[in-house]
Amino acid sequence: MDEQLKQITALIPATAGKSAPAGVSSEYWKALVPADNIANDARIELGRKLYFETRLSKDGTVACATCHDVSRGFTDRRNTSEGISDQIGQRNAPTTLNAAFFTSQFWDGRAGNLEDQAILPIVNPIEMGQPDGNAVVASIASDAEYQKAFQAAYGRAVNYADIGRAIAAFERTLVFLDAPFDRFARGDANAISADARAGWALFNGKARCTGCHQLSSNNPIGTDSRFHNVGVSARHQNFEELAKQGLIALKKDSSKEALDKLALQTNLSELGRFVVTQNRADIGAFKTSQLRNVGITAPYMHDGSMATLWDVMDHYNKGGEPNPYLDGGIEPLALNETEVAQLVAFMFTLTDVRLDAQNKSELERQRAIAAQRRPFRDDNAANRKVLPFELRATAQR
Amino acid sequence: MSPRHKSIETKHMQERAQFFSALKSLDRRSFLKVSAAAFGAAAASGLVTPHAFQPVKVYAQGAGGKQEPFSFAYISDSHLYKRTLNDRFINALMRAVDDVNAMDPQPDFVFYGGDLAQLGQPEELELGAQILKNLKAPLRVMVGEHDWYYDMGEKWRALFGEPTYSFDHKGVHFVVLNSVVEKDFWTARGLSAMDRMKTVAGLDNGVQSPFSVGAEQRTWLENDLKGKPATTPLVVFSHSPLYKLYRNWNFWTDDAEEVQAILRRFRQVCVFHGHTHQMLTNRIGNIHFQGFLSTAWPWPYAPQGLPELTVQMARPDPFNPNDGCGDGAITVHPDGLADIVHNLWNRNPVTILRTYTASNGKKDKPEAPLRRSY
Amino acid sequence: MGNTSMMRRLGLIGIGVLASCAHSAAPAPGTPGAADPNAAAGGSADSTEVLLCDGQTKVSVAAGTPGTAVAGALMTEWLRKNPNSNWEAEERERHTLQPAADNSALIGQVQGQTYGQVTAQDVALWKAETERVATAGSEVFHNADQLGSTIGVSCDMCHPHAANTHPETYPKYQNQLGRVALLRDMINWCIQHPVRGKAMESEDPKLRALEAYILAQRKGKVLEYGKH
Repeated sequence: MDEQLKQITALIPATAGKSAPAGVSSEYWKALVPADNIANDARIELGRKLYFETRLSKDGTVACATCHDVSRGFTDRRNTSEGISDQIGQRNAPTTLNAAFFTSQFWDGRAGNLEDQAILPIVNPIEMGQPDGNAVVASIASDAEYQKAFQAAYGRAVNYADIGRAIAAFERTLVFLDAPFDRFARGDANAISADARAGWALFNGKARCTGCHQLSSNNPIGTDSRFHNVGVSARHQNFEELAKQGLIALKKDSSKEALDKLALQTNLSELGRFVVTQNRADIGAFKTSQLRNVGITAPYMHDGSMATLWDVMDHYNKGGEPNPYLDGGIEPLALNETEVAQLVAFMFTLTDVRLDAQNKSELERQRAIAAQRRPFRDDNAANRKVLPFELRATAQR
Repeated sequence: MSPRHKSIETKHMQERAQFFSALKSLDRRSFLKVSAAAFGAAAASGLVTPHAFQPVKVYAQGAGGKQEPFSFAYISDSHLYKRTLNDRFINALMRAVDDVNAMDPQPDFVFYGGDLAQLGQPEELELGAQILKNLKAPLRVMVGEHDWYYDMGEKWRALFGEPTYSFDHKGVHFVVLNSVVEKDFWTARGLSAMDRMKTVAGLDNGVQSPFSVGAEQRTWLENDLKGKPATTPLVVFSHSPLYKLYRNWNFWTDDAEEVQAILRRFRQVCVFHGHTHQMLTNRIGNIHFQGFLSTAWPWPYAPQGLPELTVQMARPDPFNPNDGCGDGAITVHPDGLADIVHNLWNRNPVTILRTYTASNGKKDKPEAPLRRSY
Repeated sequence: MGNTSMMRRLGLIGIGVLASCAHSAAPAPGTPGAADPNAAAGGSADSTEVLLCDGQTKVSVAAGTPGTAVAGALMTEWLRKNPNSNWEAEERERHTLQPAADNSALIGQVQGQTYGQVTAQDVALWKAETERVATAGSEVFHNADQLGSTIGVSCDMCHPHAANTHPETYPKYQNQLGRVALLRDMINWCIQHPVRGKAMESEDPKLRALEAYILAQRKGKVLEYGKH
């Protein structure tokens, strides 16, 4: 934690988090920040402390930064995260970088904002393991420094909701939007390679990325904040069966905590957004992840099942994984190997320059893995020689 | 610890949880009374997968016999090109076949609503016939204008038989019409077969004639229905709607009134049609009309003539070529009226109960789309 | 069919085909309207091969044939090879255009013209020219090949009579693009994705004609900003 703290102090400028980031309109930023948690130095400082505070967990070993590690792209580079007592969950840890720009948090959007998100892992039995909010508060309430800090930040005694607010205020300082791509967008054609420029053209064209990964000046992170079934979870089980099970389980207890537990512990987690909305249209749908700093936040997808960006491209190129709830916008793309490489090159230009060292080493690491294995590659499917629903339709005779 | 603010999802789920636990505590009689509405609400909000009616088990698949409701599935308007030209429409039809094959319990039969081919090419029709062979349940087909006007039905007849026919199933009399008969507009212009086909293929192409059933078929229909009591459960299939919606797009049958007159003596008639690629509900006197979805693409709603009873589907998103498309299932009741479930891809299924048209729109109005339209 | 035919349509070719040749692909012609004796060096000793300024249509004429007969022969030959010369009327028959505004009230008015009054010919010209471009757009709109579709899809498959296009709502944040778009950006997006063709350049006459057709079909609609 100390090492991480050192790194982070070096990375974040003092002005971060208190006003709209450069290029984002202040009106739009206001829509992203709750009115009762306007950032100031006291709140940010408190939040930073809490983010690295292992005492918040039941056995004192896990803090936010355990799974959202500064030195690992603010994630943990694991397929799915590990909590207290070596328990392993079902979801991949999304990065905290730029998380402020999402309009909901978690892969299934069950938290409306950063404040709501921050407090849920603390009471989740396999993440930080506290039984309830009171236990969380008790773990730090006797610390005089924390008492002072909470008073300074919120004018109140230590309480669970404010823990979430403070952490959120700190997380809003984690704006990392100064990438080579941005310099290219501002007019420096040589800021990124020719391959990456070609990849950017494909991103907006043939590869159909902008349908969900939207990049605009006010929403610069590359997500529509909506939920799509791209077929990742369809690889593992029978959806229709799971959906019926999900309905029955949720009728018994549909509170936020129960959802949180369900999402991480049972295989119902694979139903994604459906667990929150019970809309049939949301079965197996997960939130479009951001593309900023995507190079350093491997592995990919809600279950971390894709180790490299080449795997991600192979998955989309073949038209995802067909299932009855597959988003119809997912189609075979007929991208050739060069085009795939260009898209990957483009994606690696989206990492903030402050994290360039991580980006470079990740690029080499992923390239080495991809050179050895491409488990999702399917040229027949990509080139539409076999159609996504063909095998399903013809196999059922 | 209570959440600081309840998300919409939390409120939604709490309401549903309360609703369903309240349901469980009803006695059987009140349960049945409420169940119709519940079924509609549940299905429309996505809790009921088409043909797997849970948690409200009201319409069990009948084991047979005249007095029980039964179901059949529909697939319509696939507009296939040959595979080397267009993979997307083929994939969509395969998705529909997959959907129907996955229905549990299986429907009694599958009805194909017309426009299997896009340009009436023999290879397109054969491709479609081949794909439909993968259906587990028996298949009944109807012709559309895209199937017909290249060779005036030659290949269709070879593959599927006569376009106009009737059959009986579990006490219900089914009639299949060719409602896309057009007056000859091609001879005088010296059009080739392909030109004629392409003219008809354009929905907004003003050179073609309006659709009709025609005198010959009307006579056939009268004979087919002769002697049947007025209480006979009767279902009629036509490709174009058997009423006059919008002339400019041939959402129209020129002799609709004459056909309706033939049907008027029956207590009630269900007419199911394709061609319009959208959800459409109408009632004219004793006739209850429902439109099929297409598997290939959705049409926009016509600028005028929309029936009052129609609840429009959400405006489709062009990024998702499946949006606004799908397949569905129909449950026919002993009284001859039917419920229809539209299995819209990537959206919640929509159920239109027979009580909606039976009450002229006063009861069981289908829910408006839940998802934000683009 | 590339830009050549579109240019021919929107260029100055009408019934007076020999009046001028308007496409860039042609080799530099001689004087428009006259047979070019310096063109193709074909023919026998007694006859000359005459090449039209479009660089393609040619006719063999015996020596001494009067010029008018040569012109007539060339015209017949050109019409034979271009059965589509009646394209505009044919397209209008297939696909109606929203009726244009009636500007006849302006005739004789001083406003609208820097020099002199508005004449009946002006009013007729505005209508004829605009409708011609819109009709050319209608033709592309309804034709998958002209759009460059690789899957046989044309715009009218989702937009009969350009319904549901809402051109008056642009510029707007277009969800499918993830950014603010103009009408032609969306047309190009539709060409790339539902139609699976190649995006057109901004100055492509086909794209401009498509825009003209779509806008012309939505005359008189009330602006509903943000709804679509």
